[in-house]
Amino acid sequence: MAFRKKAWLSGVGMTVAAALALTGCGSNDSNGGNASSTTNNAAGGNAASASKENVTLTYTIWDQLQQPAMEAIGKEFTAENPNIKVKVEVIPWNDYWTKMSAAAPAGTLPDVFWMHSGQFVKYASGKFLEPITDKVQAGEINMDDYAANLGSIYQLDGQNYAIPKDFDTIGLAYNKELFDQAGVPYPDDTWDYAKLAEAAKQLSQPDKGIYGFAAKMDTQGGYWNDMLANGGSIISADGTKSGYDDPASIEALQARYQMILDKASPSHQQMTDTDSTEMFKSGKIAMIFEGDWRTTDIDGSDIIKGKWNWAPLPKGKAKRGDIINGLGNVMSASGKHKDEAWQFLKFLGSKRAAEITAQMGAAIPAFKDTQAAWVQSKPQLNLQVFIDQAADATPYPAGTKAYPVWFPKESEIMAQAWGGKISIEEGAKQVAAMMNQAIADNK
Amino acid sequence: MNSRSRYVWAYIMIAPTLLGTVLFWSWPAFYSIYLSFLKSENFGMVNHWVGLANYEKLFKDKEFWKNLGNTLYYMVLFVPLTLVFSTFFAVLLNAKIRGLSAYRVIFFLPQVTMPAAAAMVWVVLFARDYGFINYLLGTHVAWISDTRFAMFALVIVGVWGAIGLNMLLILAGLQGIPKALYEAASIDGAVRFRKFRYITLPLLTPTLFFTTIVLMIGATQVFDSIYLLIGKTNVALPEVRSLVYAYYQNSFVYYDQNYGAAIVDMLLVINLILTGLQFAFQKKWVTYD
Repeated sequence: MAFRKKAWLSGVGMTVAAALALTGCGSNDSNGGNASSTTNNAAGGNAASASKENVTLTYTIWDQLQQPAMEAIGKEFTAENPNIKVKVEVIPWNDYWTKMSAAAPAGTLPDVFWMHSGQFVKYASGKFLEPITDKVQAGEINMDDYAANLGSIYQLDGQNYAIPKDFDTIGLAYNKELFDQAGVPYPDDTWDYAKLAEAAKQLSQPDKGIYGFAAKMDTQGGYWNDMLANGGSIISADGTKSGYDDPASIEALQARYQMILDKASPSHQQMTDTDSTEMFKSGKIAMIFEGDWRTTDIDGSDIIKGKWNWAPLPKGKAKRGDIINGLGNVMSASGKHKDEAWQFLKFLGSKRAAEITAQMGAAIPAFKDTQAAWVQSKPQLNLQVFIDQAADATPYPAGTKAYPVWFPKESEIMAQAWGGKISIEEGAKQVAAMMNQAIADNK
Repeated sequence: MNSRSRYVWAYIMIAPTLLGTVLFWSWPAFYSIYLSFLKSENFGMVNHWVGLANYEKLFKDKEFWKNLGNTLYYMVLFVPLTLVFSTFFAVLLNAKIRGLSAYRVIFFLPQVTMPAAAAMVWVVLFARDYGFINYLLGTHVAWISDTRFAMFALVIVGVWGAIGLNMLLILAGLQGIPKALYEAASIDGAVRFRKFRYITLPLLTPTLFFTTIVLMIGATQVFDSIYLLIGKTNVALPEVRSLVYAYYQNSFVYYDQNYGAAIVDMLLVINLILTGLQFAFQKKWVTYD
């Protein structure tokens, strides 16, 4: 029920956001221009020692599971900089961008906060984020310290805005107990999509409410990987055209949906009633695609603890599809304590912060050569698959102004297809048309 | 005191409420009308005047008409059901029975329950495979994700949540009816139903008039149950999406505040018309003594 839990938290958040939005409307004139003038931060390097004023920074994140690790980093930072305290604030993902979009024009963005590649362009082009280019050039921070060229996600018009925090890829979680009962060998890196579909059928016992696979209607943790593996695309490389109407994409979507028709997966309605990962956690699903960030959550279920593991995603006709995404830490352009915020931001990008993130199993840190500690944080699970798949994974298809517009509409259209109101092909074509329109409108 | 200083005092007394109303209700309402004539960029920091373009888009938008239909359909189901049930329970609780206050508290409880918390319970109750409602009825219906039933699920939750307060309002109305009338009717030999029909109901009409208006306005603003119960990946969403939900999506999810503003401004017009009609027709059925 995690999804629903988030949903009701959102109810509260919405009210706050609405109130913020209303007050924000009145005072939107003062904070527009000042962001572009990069503040003189010559003292940035040793600002902490220069000013001894007591300051509390707000660090806003969306994942409650990572809160302990982020607080631990904040504590260690305060130990080094006794005059700067860090308050970690969690806003659940469902409300995070609603609240940020109200806070941005009101000039009340948190001092430091998590940024997602999908939302980045909107905030950076609106001058709400403090550029850190001069610090990178001054050598205060080295973008080569971070794996998989993650720093480049948060560049716009030659400016750097974020320090890479972590990266994530998608894996295949499987329930060992259900595999043992059905006498099916565990998934490994030789599996392809045909094998996945075949095993899913063998593992399913619909009369007992047990299904081989959760063919959920999901993008990053779902059919985007299928589409890429089958040789299709989500959006063209230059970001100007949707890939949903590519025949290879449609074929991949249909193959996933076929698993519902074959009763090898719960129906869309069932997965609307109960989140599919929750079904996996209660031992009703044998296999599911999920992001590494759900590891702690899944392993926290008493029903499945010790009875599950990760495998790589299956291979498709073209390749092994996998989406890689990386979060970044950014700072507000209108913060009151930018020098202190920069000190903290720099610390968040340090090797030490990455080690804390890894050891506490919060996320795969972006800092090079610290990932091993994350893999070791849960030795009973094959976490190495996420690191291995990062090498040839496809970046999350964001980085345009159009993305925040088409992304929420995508799920609305695909819900009609997954719910059986329109065909998969029709749904994919509608999404393509909608995406192309959004791209044209938001050049 | 001369009349002038009396006015001054009167204004001072209403100032807190008046200020609150202007600041938090009137100003945003007018601002949303202004917004609907703009095309905003960059979270509303850059605005262009586009005149009626948003309304043009609105009237051509099939989804808008569908959402309007959904909203009115919800209202038509929700308002009469709430009125009937609230009146029924109010009449029952107006009697002298043991544990009266306990019953009143029980019926009022939904009103003080956080809607979000209640919605979570309803999601479980409505579930297809293990839900209590299907168990009770012996059915196997996906209440909240089947396009045929989702609206009824919303109405059930809505009525359940609205009975408490309206029952209380009607109860207050009932207690304002002089006992002497009932005594006189008893002497004339009237039985229970006739008393209800010819004394209670006519004298209750001012209260019913008020509750109907409030309920109708409330019904056109249905949002939280759709947001919490149905959700954005639900295939039934287009069948139940209300105008306010569409406003939320456009303003806060698609970042198009201007189109969102046009939607709520239409809602404002609709509510003005509905309330105007109510007042026009009140002579026909409302009895003021």
